[in-house]
Amino acid sequence: MLPEKKPQELLVMSHAVVGYPSLEANLPAIDGLVAAGVKMIELQIPFSDPVADGPTLAHACHVALKNGGGVKQALALAEQVSRRHPQVSFLLMSYLNPLYRYGLDRLFIDAAEAGVKGLIIPDLPVEALEPHLPLLDKLNLAPIMMVTPVTPPERLQRISAAARGMVYVVARTGVTGSQTRWDAEFDNYIARLKRYTDLPLAVGFGVRSAEDLRQLRGRVEVAAVCSRYIEWQGKLGSDAAAERMAELCEAAGGMEATA
Amino acid sequence: MIRSNNGMFGSFGGRYTPEILTPALMELERLFFSLRDDPDFWREYQTLAQQFSGRPTPLTPCERLSKAIGGAQIWLKREDLNHSGAHKVNNVLGQGLLVRRMGKRRVIAETGAGQHGLATAIMAARLGLECRIYMGADDIERQYGNVFWMRRLGAEVIPVATGARTLKEAMDEALRDWAASFEDTHYVLGTACGPAPFPELVAYFQSIIGRELQQQALSQIGRNPDSVVACVGGGSNALGAFAPYIDQGDVELIGVEAGGRSREEGQHSIRLQEGTGEDGIAQGFKTLFLQDSDGQLGHTHSVAAGLDYVGVSPILADLAQRGRLTPDSATDEEALTAFETLLRHEGIIPALESSHALAGGFRRAAQMSPSEHVVINLSGRGDKDIFNVARAFPHPDWSAFLQRELARQPDFTTQGENAADVA
Ligand SMILES: Cc1ncc(COP(=O)(O)O)c(C=O)c1O
Repeated sequence: MLPEKKPQELLVMSHAVVGYPSLEANLPAIDGLVAAGVKMIELQIPFSDPVADGPTLAHACHVALKNGGGVKQALALAEQVSRRHPQVSFLLMSYLNPLYRYGLDRLFIDAAEAGVKGLIIPDLPVEALEPHLPLLDKLNLAPIMMVTPVTPPERLQRISAAARGMVYVVARTGVTGSQTRWDAEFDNYIARLKRYTDLPLAVGFGVRSAEDLRQLRGRVEVAAVCSRYIEWQGKLGSDAAAERMAELCEAAGGMEATA
Repeated sequence: MIRSNNGMFGSFGGRYTPEILTPALMELERLFFSLRDDPDFWREYQTLAQQFSGRPTPLTPCERLSKAIGGAQIWLKREDLNHSGAHKVNNVLGQGLLVRRMGKRRVIAETGAGQHGLATAIMAARLGLECRIYMGADDIERQYGNVFWMRRLGAEVIPVATGARTLKEAMDEALRDWAASFEDTHYVLGTACGPAPFPELVAYFQSIIGRELQQQALSQIGRNPDSVVACVGGGSNALGAFAPYIDQGDVELIGVEAGGRSREEGQHSIRLQEGTGEDGIAQGFKTLFLQDSDGQLGHTHSVAAGLDYVGVSPILADLAQRGRLTPDSATDEEALTAFETLLRHEGIIPALESSHALAGGFRRAAQMSPSEHVVINLSGRGDKDIFNVARAFPHPDWSAFLQRELARQPDFTTQGENAADVA
């Protein structure tokens, strides 16, 4: 599921909210992210009640909904961008209800068909995911499971068993969009996770600067810069936001691959 | 008593939250399960409710009203006489006992009508806890009296200006806060909704209403009532009143939802009736939600802020699906008419939320005979609704008073003191 990478390389993952700032703007914005050196992109289906998101992504969801973003638009976009950028992994990110209404099995089949490599569903707990694993495995569609600093050991075990592709490491408590520290406690946390899984680790929640990426390089495989990018996109426009992302990708050591 | 099957009630309920909240919910569930069958814990709760909130609340016969309606005998279970003016305080006092046992120092809550926020602010003041209340910006305008008192009690009231600016958005914000704060903070969820164990836990504390009612009915009526009627926002006062009767099929249970202005989309908050709410999973649980075909949660309306919610208790969704609960609704106008009727016949000022139960209860009583008995759960008193009622029934003396009062109040407009509320 992960694109090719060198051993010490930190892959940068970023974000698109389908319909933000508009449906038409999604494609050029994604082209910009890819040119900047981003290797993985979450396509977020907007939802009316995004409870795991901070103000930036929640606002983007509300705008995207007004612009007509939804499951069908996300699948259409996925199909387009996964053909255009075969070297990049596209993941579908959504809260459960829009997918549940679409029909989970049907969604999995359609997503795999559209070239989606993995799924991030923050409010789908492992217990509810497990029954779907046989179909997901057949489709080669990876459920990306989240773990947090407070997930207890027996749950880490269960989540690791269901995880495919990579494990999404929530760096700290809280919602998307604020600062995180990369200290000894973080290292202990990562070491603890590695006792449960051999999958690559993607760190998200609070990755916002070049310094964050330099800190994470060599410690984990993927860093997700999502809220920060959407913030830039909202304030500066997609082109300027992509320029900032290029600086971050350079700090992560990811530029060589696209040159 | 109300028991889930591993968090589920039929096909509804469950725990669909971001992983970050799972440990906090599991901790709460472990504590609740260890206490709920302990008679000493129930006695501790009952004593607190008696000493602090004047329980048991009376069961009041309504002679003149029953005659005027011209059917069954109407009785009111008087939750309006609670400290803070509504049943919401029952749940809050109970959760306060849990907060103490967990040793947390801060509480947060969502609120619609402000009654739950007010009750939480009261509990926090009494226990010396830090308190933050999330409230939709539009609800703040509708229920400013409660906002005023929450702030005076020391709570921080945060206006939520996203989406429809009502209860649903306030709950989203409270969940976000909790995801970052659960280590020292308890989320005092205000109704029988949300992720497990909340529906079961809130229904447990509110069942104090029904347990009292059952005793009172046996001694005052001499038997069980024929019908028990309650308004349904999230469902906590209804489940409290229904609790002991759920397994007694001869007692009719009627839940009255907010019919708002009309059946058109966005104009009501009816979720339990045919063609309204549909299966969905959001805000941490599965229930009937008003939503569009893409699974986006819908907009709601009610004159009563406490009924203006997009989902409903999974316990009630299950009871309705099984045919045990009879769903009914009352429009804004019907609720206001029932409000006036009670005021004039019994000298009781009901909350606008409770006025929906009155409207449904009056309608049902009129179809019954004088030998039958209807109990209406009067979930709260109407003092908080003075501005809304004054607007619905305009009186020149009240408007003139407001003008004079405005002139007497210090002028903060240039400093924009509470500008955040109206942003
Ligand atoms: C007086 C009163 N009644 C009823 C409700 C509705 O809530 P529930 O359905 O949980 O009882 C509220 C909610 O704020 C309320 O304040």
